[in-house]
Amino acid sequence: MRYAMAIDLDRCTGCHACSVACKVENNLPDGIFWNRILTAGGKSMDTPSGTFPNLSMQFLPVNCQHCENPACVKACPVKATYKREEDGIVIQNYDKCIGCRYCMVACPYASVRQFNWKKPEYAIDVAMGDAAITPHQYNTVEKCTFCTHRLAQGLKPACIDTCPNRARIFGDIDDPNSEVSQAIQGRSYFHLLEEKGTKPSIFYLT
Amino acid sequence: MAVVTNTKKTSATNLWTMIFAVFAVLGAVCWVLQLTRGLQMTNLDTNNMWGLYIVGFMIFTGIAAGSLLFSAVPYLFKLEEFKPYTRIASYLGAVASIVAASLFIIVDIGNPERVWLFITSGNWTSPMFWDFIMLSSYMVISIIFTRKLILLNEGKIEEKGVKGIAVVAFVAGILVTVTSFVFSFQVARPLWSTPAQPLSFLIAALVAALAVLMILSHILNKSGYVKMPIGLLAKMGKLTALLLCIELIIVITEILIGLYPGSGEDYAAFIWLVTGKGAVGFWLMMVALVTAIVLLAKQGTLPKVGLLLGGAIIALIAIYLIKSNLLQAQLFNPLITLPGTPVYGETTGPYVPSLLEIGLSLGIVSLGALLLNLGFGKLNLGTTANTRKL
Repeated sequence: MRYAMAIDLDRCTGCHACSVACKVENNLPDGIFWNRILTAGGKSMDTPSGTFPNLSMQFLPVNCQHCENPACVKACPVKATYKREEDGIVIQNYDKCIGCRYCMVACPYASVRQFNWKKPEYAIDVAMGDAAITPHQYNTVEKCTFCTHRLAQGLKPACIDTCPNRARIFGDIDDPNSEVSQAIQGRSYFHLLEEKGTKPSIFYLT
Repeated sequence: MAVVTNTKKTSATNLWTMIFAVFAVLGAVCWVLQLTRGLQMTNLDTNNMWGLYIVGFMIFTGIAAGSLLFSAVPYLFKLEEFKPYTRIASYLGAVASIVAASLFIIVDIGNPERVWLFITSGNWTSPMFWDFIMLSSYMVISIIFTRKLILLNEGKIEEKGVKGIAVVAFVAGILVTVTSFVFSFQVARPLWSTPAQPLSFLIAALVAALAVLMILSHILNKSGYVKMPIGLLAKMGKLTALLLCIELIIVITEILIGLYPGSGEDYAAFIWLVTGKGAVGFWLMMVALVTAIVLLAKQGTLPKVGLLLGGAIIALIAIYLIKSNLLQAQLFNPLITLPGTPVYGETTGPYVPSLLEIGLSLGIVSLGALLLNLGFGKLNLGTTANTRKL
């Protein structure tokens, strides 16, 4: 079994709902986003390239790619980051992380791993999201977990259920009948930086 | 530093000990601040996650490795004139450099209290774990080597008794290339993934060690602790200049290879470095490299200590800038640069260390110097009658 996610770029409107859902569900500290919406267009977020009326803009949601051959797992000197044998999810163990940031250096997908440079601070005084999430620790690296706490409850990751355009599809890629396997069938897709040999579990449908 | 003469020994040693101790305490204060307020006290961030501390680690690991090589080579290749100074080099590698290199890593990590996980949960696939093994072995090898060299000097063992450990030290010194694997094995960082990097790290190690040894030799010459002829100092200078020439060739060829295509990952990083935000650091590095080479190589018939010392200091600055530029050019130019949801500190450079980083680093270097100074006082490492075992 190997969990995977398909993101249909033709359906993504760059609404950032998945990003916000992730932030709320996992009670992410200020300045940290596990799931970011990048803009392939102008020089800043949500801006097109070109000159009116010939403009173009494409969104690219990026979170941890949960690679089959993860560079971060090889790099971590103390096995604080590892791949779960049972479902291929790449986990970050906050209690073991020494905060060397080598996994951030090793990961080709810029900024999907983020570091708590200061004690976690939150925009509001009450904790948000699921009570089952692991508390954030400062001086440690964290990243997308594919919402393992929700998977344990039989739910899908928060970003999947929140996407208003159903641009995100999740499931077991080893099961040909799963939603994600069905979604990629007959579609053209790519993996981010495929040439790096990390074998990501995120399929970008085009 | 290490003024261990018969007349002014105690007062001068105490003065330097106090100065180094004050800076070491300052460094400790900075570390406490960093631990309590987090690494936000540094100028590191999401893009540029490694900085001054990692460069410090690279340089002091290099000094340790270079010192081991400097100590081993005279016994393996029968360079008689350098043998009297191998004790100092070996001790420099054994204590000061390795302690400093280890501390630079300790202060860089967010949770130093978990460092024991290197032993209980070490990951064999991680080049950083290999570095841990290497530094630990450097410590053991250097201590044994220093001890043997002292015994040899005291006539308690024969020279053949140090041959074995000299071979081990030589191999260990060459293996400083492992340090480069921390960088060059990363698919995410194409700028670092070149076969030239291991060679560059080896050269940087030798240059850093030779430069520090030249500076040390001069200071110890003045204090009467050792008596190194200017000719030997000049030979070390010329060797350093030659090594810097190779480093300069590596730098220039990497830049040309990166810039020639006119686009792509490497081009983006190198153009950032040569004409972009990293340009000040890059051109300072080029000036430092050329100046050090000229000062160290162009000595004429009567070498001048001042020029050699100047060359050695500038060579150290050049090595710092080479390593710092290597880090920054790549970290500020990741593979994916599309704009997106803002996160903590996505700066685009250049990186200048914060005052806290500089204070902490000075503290570590001072602690290394303190240990060095104490060692000169307590151990029989010198070459003259003024050398005393306290």
